Amino acid sequence: MGFTDQEILETIRMFELETLDIRTTTLGISLFDCADSDIESACEKIYAKIVHHARNLVAVGNSISTDYGIKIVNKRIATTPIAWVAAACGERDLVPFARAMDAAAKVCGVDFIGGYSAYVYKGLTNADRALLESIPRALAETKSVCASVALGSTRAGLNLDAIARFSELILETAALTADQGGLGCAKLVCFCNAVEDNPFVAGAHSGVGEPETVINVGVSGPGVVRSALARLGPQADMLSVAETVKRTAFKITRMGELVGREAARRMGTTFGIVDVSLAPTPAIGDSVSDILELIGVDRTGAPGTTAALAMLTDAVKKGGAMASSSVGGLSGAFIPVSEDAGMIEAVRVGALSLAKLEAMTSVCSVGLDMVAVPGDTPASTLTGIIADELAIGMVNSKTTAVRIIPVPGKGPGEMVEWGGLLGTAIVQDPGRFGCRVLHERGGRIPAPLQSYKN
Amino acid sequence: MAKKFITTEDVRRAGAGQIVVDAETIVTPQALEFAAQSGVRLVDARGAGWSEPAPDRGPDAQRAMRSLPHLPEPASDSDIDSTQMVVVTAVGRNRAGVLAEITSALSGLNGSVHDISQKMVQGYFHLVLTVEVPPGSSFAQLKQVLECLGGQDDYVCRVMHERVFRFMHRL
Repeated sequence: MGFTDQEILETIRMFELETLDIRTTTLGISLFDCADSDIESACEKIYAKIVHHARNLVAVGNSISTDYGIKIVNKRIATTPIAWVAAACGERDLVPFARAMDAAAKVCGVDFIGGYSAYVYKGLTNADRALLESIPRALAETKSVCASVALGSTRAGLNLDAIARFSELILETAALTADQGGLGCAKLVCFCNAVEDNPFVAGAHSGVGEPETVINVGVSGPGVVRSALARLGPQADMLSVAETVKRTAFKITRMGELVGREAARRMGTTFGIVDVSLAPTPAIGDSVSDILELIGVDRTGAPGTTAALAMLTDAVKKGGAMASSSVGGLSGAFIPVSEDAGMIEAVRVGALSLAKLEAMTSVCSVGLDMVAVPGDTPASTLTGIIADELAIGMVNSKTTAVRIIPVPGKGPGEMVEWGGLLGTAIVQDPGRFGCRVLHERGGRIPAPLQSYKN
Repeated sequence: MAKKFITTEDVRRAGAGQIVVDAETIVTPQALEFAAQSGVRLVDARGAGWSEPAPDRGPDAQRAMRSLPHLPEPASDSDIDSTQMVVVTAVGRNRAGVLAEITSALSGLNGSVHDISQKMVQGYFHLVLTVEVPPGSSFAQLKQVLECLGGQDDYVCRVMHERVFRFMHRL
């Protein structure tokens, strides 16, 4: 075998003490063949097809956990964006599709199913409009369904009309789930440059270029990177920090590659991608914020945070790229505020403002994620926040997303507890100045010069 | 061409009697229930009752099944079939009989120890064993037996597949 004790104990330590795990194995399922002019038949087909393909997904995940001793935390399903499947039925109310997805997810034993989605970056089809309008009720009525809407892309620009409507839908979703602190909005995300093979919810879906079925794997491991940097100490220079992160990311990604291959083989399908993302959880030590503070900022959000995050994201990608030929998805570092104990602490002590968070998203892999704002935030302000975030993605040819929760009845500084993986949030202040004229102006922000590549 | 799905609506249209279902067709649960209620029989080409087909994972899946076993893997520097190897580690407070407990549990499962190393630091030990398990034996059972050894304030035993270490530490 030839492994040294040191190598073996390093691996054991990662899994036992540093919370290394496979965050998700996500089965992508194409639902194009479920389109039907009759909505009931379409929903029946969707339910039947999801259950038919994903029935053994949880069992396969558990069998890999048993056989290899690797923890696979979540098993999830991503489907073709429902707006494409629902177009044939011509209905205005698409909530039955969400119910069918929810019921299928329940039977398969998965906690979340992504794909209640639409691509509207240049304009809306009738089905796109129907889907958008049904999002608040779909999210309020179902438990496991996640919705995502692509509102912009580098190629197409930003659809400001759709962004404005989306902002209103966020508020409607929050109102319909007010008794749970606006929790419906935690299952709702919008994108610029949406990723078609993203295995992580809420943005998981299986895009138009994806195969019939596919296994995508998301690995995590902020705790491992954090411990490696703690051992490195504060004396080492930045090149050493980058090198340490890169080596650690390599090892983490190898676990994703192993599980991805094995999951695909056992499911009898294609292995798509490994998404190597540092995805924090509220668990102690499983924090991206802790990593940034170990790199050298007093608190996340202090000057230097964006530079530290840029280096971290880049080093993770580099390590991941060497470890697997199938790196994809979002790959980088997630900064979901409520899900990261360190980020919440940074908000609590006043180190991390919404403005700094936005700056950080220009160099991390996703965007404004799990950010709580006051419940009475006007739709026009949400439009501004979303448009700003998506503009960063559009101009930099990267994915950016917004998952923002206007918490009903709460004001700046107040706390809201969502529990479980979604964690605790402190409501952040978006400021008292708005952008009503921009919101009402509508139209489209044309594609930037960066898109003219042909 | 075979129908992909049979829905309640298809059963309703068929009226009474029977529907011949192609081998790869998926009948929705609602259609099955409706057929049972309305006395419609769903039969395959040979006249037998319908049973759910194996999932058709798509055209790429067939190629993936052929190519997956041939993806380059990190090399094993041993001539033994490494698919049968597990790494057992135990960490805890030292006392008489720890090694005997673990090895006798392994022996009960026909495990053959290939490599063993133990270190002591201030009354605590860590033990690493590389073990070959017989083909066809249950990894789950081995894991369960070993991980039940020791206990709180004693020692903790962990079992992982050798492939995990190979993927993490070898190119």
